Amino acid sequence: MRPSVKIAAGTLVVLATYVYLVLERPGVSGIGALVALAGYLLGSVLIILGATDRLSTSAVALVPVAIAINIVVGQLALATGIPLYLDSIGIVLVGVLAGPAAGAATGALTCVIWGLTINPTIMPFAVTAAEIGTLAGLAAMVGAFRRPWWAALSGLLTGIVSALVSSPISAFVYGGATTSAGTTAVVGVFQAYGNTLLASTTLQGLISDPLDKTVTFSLTFLILLALPARFRQRFAFARSHRVFARRVALEA
Amino acid sequence: MATLDFYQAGRSRVHGWNPVTKLSLSLTLVVTAFALPVLWWPVALLVLVLLPAVLASGVQRRFLATMSRFLLPVILLLFVIQGLFYPGGGQVLLTLGPLSVHADGLLFAARTALRLVVLTGSFLFLLLTTHPGDLMTALVARGLPPKISYVVSATLQIIPAFRQRAQGILQAQRARGLRTDTGLVSRVRALVPLISPLILGALSEVDERSIAMEARAFGSTARRTSYTVIPDSTAQRLARWLMLLAALTAIALTTTGVVS
Amino acid sequence: MITVDKLGYTYPETARPVLREIDLNVPSGQFLGVVGPSGAGKTTLAQALAGYIPHVLGGEVTGRVEIGGLHVVDTPLPDLVTRVGMVSQNPFNQISGAKFTVAEELAFGLENLGVPRQDMLIAVREVLRRLRIEHLAERSPYELSGGQQQLVALGAMLVMNPDVLVLDEPTSQLDPAGSRLVFEALGELRSRDITVVLIEHKIERLAEFADRVVVLVDGELRMDGPPGTVLAAPELVEWGIGHTRFTTAAVRAGGRWPSGAALPVTLDQALAGFGGAR
Repeated sequence: MRPSVKIAAGTLVVLATYVYLVLERPGVSGIGALVALAGYLLGSVLIILGATDRLSTSAVALVPVAIAINIVVGQLALATGIPLYLDSIGIVLVGVLAGPAAGAATGALTCVIWGLTINPTIMPFAVTAAEIGTLAGLAAMVGAFRRPWWAALSGLLTGIVSALVSSPISAFVYGGATTSAGTTAVVGVFQAYGNTLLASTTLQGLISDPLDKTVTFSLTFLILLALPARFRQRFAFARSHRVFARRVALEA
Repeated sequence: MATLDFYQAGRSRVHGWNPVTKLSLSLTLVVTAFALPVLWWPVALLVLVLLPAVLASGVQRRFLATMSRFLLPVILLLFVIQGLFYPGGGQVLLTLGPLSVHADGLLFAARTALRLVVLTGSFLFLLLTTHPGDLMTALVARGLPPKISYVVSATLQIIPAFRQRAQGILQAQRARGLRTDTGLVSRVRALVPLISPLILGALSEVDERSIAMEARAFGSTARRTSYTVIPDSTAQRLARWLMLLAALTAIALTTTGVVS
Repeated sequence: MITVDKLGYTYPETARPVLREIDLNVPSGQFLGVVGPSGAGKTTLAQALAGYIPHVLGGEVTGRVEIGGLHVVDTPLPDLVTRVGMVSQNPFNQISGAKFTVAEELAFGLENLGVPRQDMLIAVREVLRRLRIEHLAERSPYELSGGQQQLVALGAMLVMNPDVLVLDEPTSQLDPAGSRLVFEALGELRSRDITVVLIEHKIERLAEFADRVVVLVDGELRMDGPPGTVLAAPELVEWGIGHTRFTTAAVRAGGRWPSGAALPVTLDQALAGFGGAR
């Protein structure tokens, strides 16, 4: 299979999984969870395979560094007590510098490695992280990283999509519960108002994800601004799509 | 070892199994646990398969400690929230002022919790007994692209160095009087001087890292060979086929409605 | 073995060339030392010899670089790595990260080239023995000291059996013990049939190892000759490269250094000169 076909097939599988889960609303049978897990897993695997196929060696060298950034900055944010995850800066960086496919692969692999080293319960959310990298890359393609407000806005939109994509996993696999008492309680409150479990986890996600991604995209914009121009133009994607404004360094 | 957070070296037979066999076991356990809508089924998987495998590999202490760290809070919250707020309700078991505990909610919580135990436990078993390097070598031998194996292996190994640097930067900023007490915006702003040097430093290494790979012919189109050979056996091959069959059977039983 | 003909190089997104009109011929088996002030383009020259310029880092190359008759710019890197290897300054970044043990890390290049496993086992064992790091074979490359990591980086090149080895200040980020380890290994290389280009600011070491030394200043080759002549040249001070302790001592000694005798660059030469004067 050609790489682009794999990526397209993976995206279709993810979308089909989401649509099936939203329309069918599988109940207590484990089929909902199984479809969510299997569909998202298969989709992520196809996207990872297709995306890494096309990566240059430089991009492949960038990905581990980006994943390490995700993990370490995520843990720093936790240590400094900020109520945001900030664990996807590296994903956005790769999406913007090396394109949506590279961003998707970085996202999905971040979850795999987070699962391998810190917490295996994160792994099912690989597809959300892939979505963040994809959207960051697409945003960069249309020039959103030439201006700070556009970057923030694309973060907001990405956050909304993240909430939608991750809610079936939260609902069907984890029954709405997380390690955080706060978010779990919010899900409970939405359920108490008569929402379904899926609707409740979606609404909970919509409270936290858009803010987190807006901040993440803005921070990434600032970091990219501080990079030497030579590094910003290092990757063919950033060059050919003119991701950065020519005089962006002077405006800052 | 500092670099590998779960793997616990050992000499058990389970440690010596091919990583693909253990991965197949984990996947089969998860698929059958979720596929069969029988409340006690995950319990049977735990008692009859997972726990014996964990005991045989001698990693039970870390297994139990890690499982309770990850799952106890989640499961506790799951029972509270779903016991109280599960839509549909069912028989009321207990009333606490305006709140009431419903049987359906508790049943849902129990189902989800048991499946979560199998899901997390299966993968934890794999991670505790399998060196990530062996897992990658075995998967590459089965067609995993070397680029993916590279990303996983390299990330696992550079994270400790990055954590050390982050600690250094954190301490330096604290010494200079980093404020962590005020509102959200100023706290995020305070994070910028903290993470920028870390990220810029890390990105400046990317060129040298790509050279390190190119210098080892990573871009070669030759058919790759492997220095390390991960042992396999006919029994394990057979076991993997049987596990695949079991997983498919479980899905078939549920979707055709034989088990409900 | 190495033929450089009017080599020029400009980095992407910059206007000023870093290397200009470099001509250099290094015969097979020679140990060439390169000195120069910082910013002279030494690392760039090394990367151009190894083919990382332009294959990895891009930029614009003019002129020609040939290694054993292969035109570097036109040859894909995987075909070059068996001809020329390079060791650079930072040990941490040269560990590929692909493998979890030193032996596997050494074998990584051979795996990518598709070398049969039996041959890999022999080649890895031989390199471990030559660098005297057999005891590290099963250790993680990330748990080693900087000096040991640098030996692994060197071994990862040697295992592919290149004709040319380029070393770019391989000890500049190491402590004295680590530097000693690396220089011991270089001493071992001297006795082998391999062409070595060593960029080094510890010029006393060059005086000891090199058959020939060239001086790079501001992207141009300014001097070329035997170490005894080049390293004692007065211009080296003015270019910010400096002299060995022995040369400096002889210069400061004034009349006590025998008139007419060449300035010393090694301890032995200094002893001989001062001994004769006494």
